[in-house]
Amino acid sequence: MKVLSKLFACLVVVLATTWTSAVFAQSVNDLIASGKIRIGVNSAAPPFSFIGTSGKVDGYDVEVGRKIAEFLGVEAEFVAYPTAGRIPALESDKIDIAIATLTPTPARAKVVMFTIPYVTFGSSIISAKDSAINSLEDLAGKKVGVARGTPQEVKLTDEGPKGMDIARFDDDAITMQALVAGQVDAIAVPDTIFIEFAKSRPGHSFDFKFSLQNFFMSVAVRKDAFELQQWLNTVISFMKVTGDLTQLYEKWVGKPLPAIMPEF
Amino acid sequence: MIIFGLNFGPVVAAAPALIDGLWLTITISFAAIVFGGSVGLAAAVGRSLAPRRLKWPVDVYVEVMRNTPLLIQLYIIFLGLPALGIRFSPIEASIIGLTINTGAYCTEIFRAGIESIHRSQIEAGLSLGLSRLQVVRYVVVVPAIIGVWPALVSQFILLTLASSVCSFISLEEISGAAYTIQSATFLNFEVYIVIGAMYLLLAAGLKSLLRLVGLYSFPGPSRRSLKKAMPSATAVRAQL
Repeated sequence: MKVLSKLFACLVVVLATTWTSAVFAQSVNDLIASGKIRIGVNSAAPPFSFIGTSGKVDGYDVEVGRKIAEFLGVEAEFVAYPTAGRIPALESDKIDIAIATLTPTPARAKVVMFTIPYVTFGSSIISAKDSAINSLEDLAGKKVGVARGTPQEVKLTDEGPKGMDIARFDDDAITMQALVAGQVDAIAVPDTIFIEFAKSRPGHSFDFKFSLQNFFMSVAVRKDAFELQQWLNTVISFMKVTGDLTQLYEKWVGKPLPAIMPEF
Repeated sequence: MIIFGLNFGPVVAAAPALIDGLWLTITISFAAIVFGGSVGLAAAVGRSLAPRRLKWPVDVYVEVMRNTPLLIQLYIIFLGLPALGIRFSPIEASIIGLTINTGAYCTEIFRAGIESIHRSQIEAGLSLGLSRLQVVRYVVVVPAIIGVWPALVSQFILLTLASSVCSFISLEEISGAAYTIQSATFLNFEVYIVIGAMYLLLAAGLKSLLRLVGLYSFPGPSRRSLKKAMPSATAVRAQL
């Protein structure tokens, strides 16, 4: 039964790709005419996009996608891809746009086109609410916990002030625990780790001190879809002004979206 | 099939971190050998002298420590005790964790040694007019240590190798330094080959050292029985 259904699924995918590849929905009008927009999201990047317990995709990216479909006046259809499958899916016309935690990089921009960033993903310095740590310099003479092999470890190692003591742990969870136990004065973890921690331990006495690193993420469209890209830029900019984006960010990430984000 | 050559350059460049790590491993292992060995000897002798009804604290200690992972013991000491207001630095927590862990194993080793002393020897000692304390020292403890010395040496080597777990609580000993280097360079294989060699040399050195300690600590006839127990000690001595 399982094998049969798998075979059937394969057949459907094969047929779907052969049929749809003939029609490249490249412009805003194409999308409106088709009555739907196929949006690729990341299958495992909570809280941005992930497959929830109900088996449906959910997260910040998904809600942004729904808003975009709303502005377009069409139905949103979400397809979840693993990290490595996002750009190929866009290139092979399995999706119309990708809202999938994609950081616009020069290498990627050779293959697809990016809109202005719609979200940021960051790591922060977390410490006691009442501690006077507000910049990297304030970490001098402090013991700072970080997980080995993470971007924040590299950043602290390269740019940390003199006299800062780095304590390296195996992962973010133990790093967080070291802060709770008072073994370190501050820690550098992805924002989402601290938000998850805060959910499971209400009444804790820690807070975001300052942002350590930020990676901005953009919506990707196929190459040469200039008109669609420009329309999406307008929508993203509009949603920033109306506060829709920051409201969603508050909901999923737990803090306001940075006021200044790169535009290009 | 991915074919790749070994690249030791960046690992050699990170040698200072590995050397610092080596010293930390030696420090915590040495401390845990001295303290853990003492704890084990005290617990074993105390247990053997205690009346039957008072032996249980040592038994509980030994069973709890031998039946829980060292990793969890370290976790509780480093991240759990602060909840009670007791805070240890990574190096203190490592030494305490290794000490109480190895102390439990040493207790069992010493207990085996003590139990191997025949009752008739103790009676002989007492009938020769030795005091109770002298009997404990010369008839029971010293021969017991000599008897279990090879097992102790093996336990201490295991302890030194197990100290790699201390990287878990952010101690940058050999393994901690290695994890940090490999996460920055992605030269996992090269890093592990290098630290594997470092542990090998460390363990071999420790074994030779403890053999010599055994050889020169136990006088007269006991030294002869030790030589019999560890034949290659003769070869070591012949070289000196």
